Amino acid sequence: MAFDAVAAARSARNAGIYALLVAAVVLAALFVPGFATPTNVGNVVTQSAALGLVAIGQTFVIAAGMIDLSVGQLLGLSVVLTCALSEGRGELLVPVALAMVALGAVVGSVHSWLVNWLRIEPLILTFGSLSILQGVIFTMTDRSVGRAPDALRWIANERVLGFPVAGVLLVVFGVVAHALLRNTRFGLRLLATGDDGESARRAGVDVARVRWGAFVLSAIGATAGGLLVAGRLGTGYPNAGQGFELDAIVAAVLGGTSLAGGRASIVGTIGAVLLLGVIANVLNLLEVSAFVQTLAKGLIVVGAILLTRGAPVVAARAPGAVAAG
Amino acid sequence: MGATVRDVLGRWAIVLVFALLYGVAVLLSDAFLEPVYVGNILRQAAPVGIAAIGTTLVMILGAVDLSIGAIISFSAVFCAVMMQGEAGNIGIAVAATLVVAAAFGAINGALNLASPGSSFILTLGSALALYGLTQLYSGGTARGIVSPGFREFFNHRLGDVLPVLALAMLAIAAVMELVLRTTRFGRQIYLIGSNREAARLSGLPVAAVTFACYVVSGLFAGLGGIAVLARSGVSSTFVGRGFEFDALAAIVLGGTVFRGGRGTVVGTVAGTLVLFIAFNLVNILGFNYNLQLVLKGTIIIVASAGYAWLGRDR
Repeated sequence: MAFDAVAAARSARNAGIYALLVAAVVLAALFVPGFATPTNVGNVVTQSAALGLVAIGQTFVIAAGMIDLSVGQLLGLSVVLTCALSEGRGELLVPVALAMVALGAVVGSVHSWLVNWLRIEPLILTFGSLSILQGVIFTMTDRSVGRAPDALRWIANERVLGFPVAGVLLVVFGVVAHALLRNTRFGLRLLATGDDGESARRAGVDVARVRWGAFVLSAIGATAGGLLVAGRLGTGYPNAGQGFELDAIVAAVLGGTSLAGGRASIVGTIGAVLLLGVIANVLNLLEVSAFVQTLAKGLIVVGAILLTRGAPVVAARAPGAVAAG
Repeated sequence: MGATVRDVLGRWAIVLVFALLYGVAVLLSDAFLEPVYVGNILRQAAPVGIAAIGTTLVMILGAVDLSIGAIISFSAVFCAVMMQGEAGNIGIAVAATLVVAAAFGAINGALNLASPGSSFILTLGSALALYGLTQLYSGGTARGIVSPGFREFFNHRLGDVLPVLALAMLAIAAVMELVLRTTRFGRQIYLIGSNREAARLSGLPVAAVTFACYVVSGLFAGLGGIAVLARSGVSSTFVGRGFEFDALAAIVLGGTVFRGGRGTVVGTVAGTLVLFIAFNLVNILGFNYNLQLVLKGTIIIVASAGYAWLGRDR
């Protein structure tokens, strides 16, 4: 009974973000010339894939009641390293990709150790590591370096039977992440930790390990996203990751993940990523200036937070109401 | 008893760090003993220090303001445009800049009242919007002309040593420390920061104080923007970009805890000085500028960890 009520509320929230997405697509198709072509729609999906990976990772961290502001610069570091290390050599793609996953695992582990053992606030910690990662990138290079292997460019840009490869990748990652969150003990413990860390600990949840899992997933989402961005750009641009952290947080929040923790939806996050992608695409098609786009992005961030502000309170009350009934 | 030793240590940590770092600096370079050089460091630190003083109030309240870099940038551009290179415009330009900066602070305050608990992302969002506005306003390049006399006044050295900008930072710090310690407004900030719900239940004007703190943070960021313009003469769109990192590092170093309820303005200013002595050391030792970014991040993390450890038994 309780489970049904929670699941129903979740479906309603997911329906909300997808209704917005459909409305945006219909409006864009009707009023924006050049939007409703197979090529353009494919582009929206292709360009959203990297943010999708980052936002999925961020969803886990936020669900656990934390935040990860370092993902943008970590993605940038992954872009630079991927291109600089492989220099376009296809045979190095697999080793480099594995190295980037390892980089994510290391950065995520360091974050979780600092939070678990030194009790640093995740917000402050990842704000600090954002600065460190940026310093590391610019110590290595202040201009674009290296070249992405052709195979990576193919994955990031091309289509098979009309389907964008990067989009298919995003769906695969989304399905795995969804299953991890909904159908595993880790997912259950993660949501319990985010809902109330102290109660979860008393109930026997290894909170430190849950946080480790969340930070590692977030960091690997960022480095994997970096592989896709490297494939899109074709070269290691040091500023490539700027702003990804904000977009990822906004996507998670718009998708129904509560900043207070304890509630998350991968399906919602992906819907919100696509919505942000459609908006960015429409602004580009309408040839809106970069300045206005920056302004619009800021307003979207603020609007998204205000739009979803009532949600955490509802979530906190819902279990009690269900138990009483 | 262990807790009280830690308590004392926590209170004086920034002074210890400051003394230690200054000692190291003197050992590495005689320059740190020259009054003029010390005056330079103070002047260099003034824009960040002044802005960080305002943000300290928000942090004691248990919230955060990450939009100050954007407000500093906008204020520098706006002030230069208002001056139009005429000495007679300085007064009105400075006044108008402060009003607009305080208005941005008011917007942040209103947003945070509408959605309490998401201050970091709200102010990141409003910062992005403000950068967009600043670029539209400036056309994406440096705009406006600084009036003659403006830079001369703020950089003038009293007794040939202490620049007016440096004195301004110290004076503002003294005033704000007094406000925090002796006024009802100051006490209310600490009480709300310690326990927002308890403060609300006991009838404190939580909304009004929160709003006021954001206005102060915006206003001081405006002052910081004017200080940047006075120090460098540059009014480009991104002149204040990244200042929120410097300010946060200074505030955390100074002992203001992220959860709120604790912190001092004097600590923030001392933290700012530690930061800028460290930056100067990085330069003197011949390291790459980008090392400053690594240093800032490390300071933010290490200082948070240190204070978290000192406050562990609380």
